[in-house]
Amino acid sequence: MSAIGQYVLNGLMQGTIYGLVAMGFTIFFGVMNVIKFSHGDVMTFGAFGALVAATAAAAAGLPTGVQILAAVSTAVGLAALLGAGISRLLILPLRSAPPLNLLLMTMMVGTVIREAIRLFFPNGTNSQRFPALLPPGGATVGGVFVRYDGLILIVAGLLIIAVVHHIINRTRFGLAMRAVAEDQETARTMGVNFFRVVPLTFALGSATAGFAGVISGLYYSEINYGMGLLIAVIGFSAAIVGGLGNLWGAILGGYLFAGLQTVVVATLPTFSEYKNVVAFVAVIALITWRPTGLLAERASERV
Amino acid sequence: MTARLTIDGVFTTYDRVDVLDDITLEVAPGRITCILGSNGAGKTTLIRSILRLTPPRRGSISFDGRKLDGMQTHDVVSLGIGCIPEGRRIFSKMTVEENLRLGAYRVSSEREIRRRLDGVHAVFPRLAERARQLAGTMSGGEQAMVSIGRGLMTDPKLLVIDEPSLGLSPLFVQENFNVIARINATGVTVLLVEQNVNQTLAIAHHGYVLSGGRIVAQGTSATLRDDPELQRAYFGAVH
Repeated sequence: MSAIGQYVLNGLMQGTIYGLVAMGFTIFFGVMNVIKFSHGDVMTFGAFGALVAATAAAAAGLPTGVQILAAVSTAVGLAALLGAGISRLLILPLRSAPPLNLLLMTMMVGTVIREAIRLFFPNGTNSQRFPALLPPGGATVGGVFVRYDGLILIVAGLLIIAVVHHIINRTRFGLAMRAVAEDQETARTMGVNFFRVVPLTFALGSATAGFAGVISGLYYSEINYGMGLLIAVIGFSAAIVGGLGNLWGAILGGYLFAGLQTVVVATLPTFSEYKNVVAFVAVIALITWRPTGLLAERASERV
Repeated sequence: MTARLTIDGVFTTYDRVDVLDDITLEVAPGRITCILGSNGAGKTTLIRSILRLTPPRRGSISFDGRKLDGMQTHDVVSLGIGCIPEGRRIFSKMTVEENLRLGAYRVSSEREIRRRLDGVHAVFPRLAERARQLAGTMSGGEQAMVSIGRGLMTDPKLLVIDEPSLGLSPLFVQENFNVIARINATGVTVLLVEQNVNQTLAIAHHGYVLSGGRIVAQGTSATLRDDPELQRAYFGAVH
């Protein structure tokens, strides 16, 4: 029984991380019709920023709460800045270039970020230990052992998803963002400053990835320069499975992917190494069955 | 009286071809000025040049004496130019109220936005009833109301209207033209771009005829209406 509880918690944790990353993919695609493959590496950049900030805060003798705050705000801030910068300097100027060039460009930017971390971070080729800042241990609830840190991080992740949803659907900036996503030129003739809304949109989507980076570091206690690569592929798959451009679809896709991995690990422990293989095969089957995703926008809406 | 909008020697290029070829015209304040022309005459390009979605290659456009050259579209809009685009271009995945709010996007005061919403709802009570409905699920006539209402939310000094009759039933076309005349009567200057010659000249004060990217005739609505040569040469295919 207790094993099942741990599996569920692990799955929810992973799903939250995937969902947060997938949200970025779906937001970027919705607004600029672009697949930004450097997204995972922006997350890694945020996670390493968090590590530096937390270490510095600890060295300065600041309390744990401040260390957490420093880690989270640095990761979110750095990822947002990097995402906004990439969109302003590379994606906006290349917006009339063929989509494949743009895709290739973001892949190269991702490689540059990844290699920069590996080369310039002290001992960057190896995994880095991430400080344990959350309360250790856990509680047994109904025979199921629940880790405190996992619980806190899942709730925090869900809170971030709610905040992003609120920004998109209930604020003036979100209104401009959705307008640009639906009809860029008409949005501009309504007075929307396209060249400001796009970088801000990338900042928002990248900030959620930065947060996912901190969550990952805090839960698994280590980060490495290449962590963004697999997460980008998974996050992208989750966004596609859910229906690219659909926010809830991306989150659903994230939990679905984590669910598939967890089922493999839980039911076939000897094959747990194959969890990604099985999950990706399932995703390929799902995409073949429903090419536009589970929560696809209806054809009539997408004009 | 100085013109609200002055277009002076404008050339605009698409794919290296001049679609607008030395356009000079004026829109007088408080009036309805129309641009008549068939498909491909350059009407939409003229609007895109004014809004700087396709900036002119040469020439100058000024609004209330202020040069728009070098400005971004959102800055042009901020000066008080509202737009009712061709084909309505409503945001179909948004609610009716969100569409209207986008018209007043440059306004940050919620009180002012509410005041303008009330104003639009007074013109189109239907939009108040349907405030929470997704705009894409409304009928063509209702979507036209959303598009016009959104233009009014800008509280413009100049309202640019591109082919309001396109794709609407004759009954709605007449209703739309009546609404435009009423908007103008409240003091809003209108630049109306149309192919529908007779109904347009019936409400416009002054008109220009655009053909092959050039202004080929201009005058008061009455002059244009009564010019048999013009009717035959440029509007023959339409009527």
